[in-house]
Amino acid sequence: MVFLGVVMLTAPGAPRMAADQNDRAHQIGAKLKCMCGGCDQSAAKCYHVGGQYSGPCDVAKQEIKQIDDQIAQGKSDEQALQAMIAEYGPLAYVEPPKSGFGLVAWLMPVLYLLAGTALVVLIMKRWRKRPAAVHSATGAGAVGGIHLTPELLERAREQARRETED
Amino acid sequence: MDVFGSFALILAFVCALYAFGGGIAAIITRHPLLIKSARQSGLATCGLIFVSTLSLVYLFFSDDYSVAYVVSHSNRDLSTFFKVAALWSGQEGSLLFWSFLLAIYVFSVLFVYRNKNGELMPYVGVILAGVQLFFLTISNFVASPFKALGVANANGVFDFVARADGNGLNPVLQYPEMVIHPPNLYSGYTGFTIPFAFALAALLARYPGEKWIHLTRKWTMIAWCFQSMGILLGAHWAYAVLGWGGYWGWDPVENASLLPWLTGTAFLHSVMMQEKRGMMKVWNVWLVFLTFMLCILGTLLTRSGVVSSVHAFAQSSIGNWFVGFLCIVLGVCLAAYFKNRDYLKSENQLDSLVSRESSFLFNNLVLLVACVAVLSGTLFPVFSEWFTGSRISVGAPFFNKVNIPLGLLLLFLTGVGPLLAWRKTSAESLLRNFKWPSILGVVSGVIGFAFGFREMFSLICLVLCVFVAGTIVQEFYRGAKVVRVRTGADWLRSCVDLTLRNTRRYGGYVVHFGMVMIFIGLAGQAFNKEVEKEMPVGSTVKIRNYELLLQSMDQKQEKNYVADRMILEVLRDNKPVMMLYPERRNFPTNQESGTMVAIYSTLREDLYVVYAGINPATNLPTIHAFINPLVKWVWWGGMVVVMGTIVALLPNRAAAVVLAKSEAAVSTPELGRMRPAQIALREGHD
Repeated sequence: MVFLGVVMLTAPGAPRMAADQNDRAHQIGAKLKCMCGGCDQSAAKCYHVGGQYSGPCDVAKQEIKQIDDQIAQGKSDEQALQAMIAEYGPLAYVEPPKSGFGLVAWLMPVLYLLAGTALVVLIMKRWRKRPAAVHSATGAGAVGGIHLTPELLERAREQARRETED
Repeated sequence: MDVFGSFALILAFVCALYAFGGGIAAIITRHPLLIKSARQSGLATCGLIFVSTLSLVYLFFSDDYSVAYVVSHSNRDLSTFFKVAALWSGQEGSLLFWSFLLAIYVFSVLFVYRNKNGELMPYVGVILAGVQLFFLTISNFVASPFKALGVANANGVFDFVARADGNGLNPVLQYPEMVIHPPNLYSGYTGFTIPFAFALAALLARYPGEKWIHLTRKWTMIAWCFQSMGILLGAHWAYAVLGWGGYWGWDPVENASLLPWLTGTAFLHSVMMQEKRGMMKVWNVWLVFLTFMLCILGTLLTRSGVVSSVHAFAQSSIGNWFVGFLCIVLGVCLAAYFKNRDYLKSENQLDSLVSRESSFLFNNLVLLVACVAVLSGTLFPVFSEWFTGSRISVGAPFFNKVNIPLGLLLLFLTGVGPLLAWRKTSAESLLRNFKWPSILGVVSGVIGFAFGFREMFSLICLVLCVFVAGTIVQEFYRGAKVVRVRTGADWLRSCVDLTLRNTRRYGGYVVHFGMVMIFIGLAGQAFNKEVEKEMPVGSTVKIRNYELLLQSMDQKQEKNYVADRMILEVLRDNKPVMMLYPERRNFPTNQESGTMVAIYSTLREDLYVVYAGINPATNLPTIHAFINPLVKWVWWGGMVVVMGTIVALLPNRAAAVVLAKSEAAVSTPELGRMRPAQIALREGHD
């Protein structure tokens, strides 16, 4: 089945043609916030679930139309996006800006990953240094010839059982 | 019936209070009768919650419009099927429903272990009663579902009134999946209370060993399975009903359901470290505490309206209660930990960096980083408002950028982890286990690239999916080969035999395979395409190799709503394939409307069509069509995950060959000369 998936993924239908205007408007709209004030959705995806009405939000629809108009004027995606930002202000981006306080949002996940990795490395180091009572006791017995008490054997057996069972 | 229901609810509160207070007294005095009475009070609490919930269901069925909750969430024309769902469609009902599901778990636990684990159970009973007490306080005194409908008259006296009909159920909830999605998700949320209670109880009672983990393993898996199903059903509901063409929008409430799932998944993996190696004890205890607290936080986010959400139907000021409860839980956990932390000493050391242990550490790291990143992203708009005064939006693109790399890392570990041996993995074993899967993965990547596959993350995802699937198939192949040699059965039967002998390991592989399928589906998103167009009857709209012909429009009168439909003929490569009927439903009872998406779904892609209404300016119907590749893989993957979990829950069938005691006796002399670490290590095995 996975191979079927591979085949399908590798042949994604007709080659991507120049996206038509409307698809472009939605793609740009996905980067902008819906300005209706009641949601954190993007202009392309605001569907107001659970309120009085579900379906494309009127404010969002208006924004998509504006982008459509910008595209009709022959602007590029970036120009159309900037025209919208010029109108609604920098907070109209649906993702946080990469400057000012917005930068904090972007740095947080990176920081978590770094801190977490550091922690894991630290833990591993400590674990590697830690003398394990069971291990060294039985290990010494093995090295120093055959001095095997029944309880030691039972412990080893118990440990082996735990580590191999499922 | 409303009086009966609310009476049962207040009695349940009293019983829970006794189970809690009496239970504490029982722990202190160790008096057997007191222990028994506390347990039975716990059982009675559950019974009374059942009675109370059933009375509310009865009120819906009997169309009793003198009860405020029934009036706001039902009407006479609503079908019986959805009247059940109306139970949890609002605040008060869903909190009662929460107690109901928790009561099922609590009842089962108290009953199953009534004569076992005498040291531990009184503690477990007290903790469970404490959690129930919180929800019962809310249902009794803050948000009662049995409140009568009434108005205050001129003298300030409350006059009871009854309405002839109700306001009806929110239309977006009138969909079959809405009947099964919340119960699944809630069963997941409430289910994590059980491992939480056992972990805390074991810590408080200094209960020896890993027994609490053995006891709760199945409960945790059941909760995890429900939660996975709940999340996927919710995603499917969003996809099939809301009409925005996607299934996951990183909405705060969606995120809230994902958070405990992430920590729960981490917990399911890291408990193995404790079971096999006696390591990570502190971590496991905190992981399960965290999971439980995230479940409560999830409810807080859903209910309080702290973060704006599309799930607007469930908001109120009840959040403060949850904040309070969360603080108490955290306080108790911290106190228990600091008092008894010496009991959580690790037993073993790490032998090698290339081992199962370290792969589990990284698995937990990635899951936890994803969890914290999603949590802080969800709360970021609130933070930014506090610090800067303006609300910075953190939308779906942010979460995608952060979580896609983490998801891929996790996918990689899914392939690598299970094939590393405990303690130490040798270079030969690495080569033996990963040679073919790696070759397959790389080859598929090269083929993909050659065919013009240029989306980087999707390409990486493809390579990893093939790699992980390769490792899983290889494991089944190797295991089945051994069984075949011994029994002479065919491949399929050998695989089944193999799985039943070690359900946990092979069930786990099936779950991993389901996750691979889900990742394939997610990778398809990079190739989505959409078009929105006004179209007169008789015209067509093209999207990729599909063409949609609007044959006509019609109207359909149903019991509870009127539907405007588009009648569309679908042509693929100029050949007619099928008809699609996207609808807009108008519900006269509550003056609301909703979409009903039409989907033509194949393994390769979904053709997803929404009737977006009539443009008043031109009086033309508008169509919004999407091509969403590989979406079906997500739903099917979800089913495989559930199947795998069920397999893992089955008890192991006894192996045909049992190692006899005599064998141990024979091997005794060798044992002496060997380092115990080498005694019974099977590389690449669990």
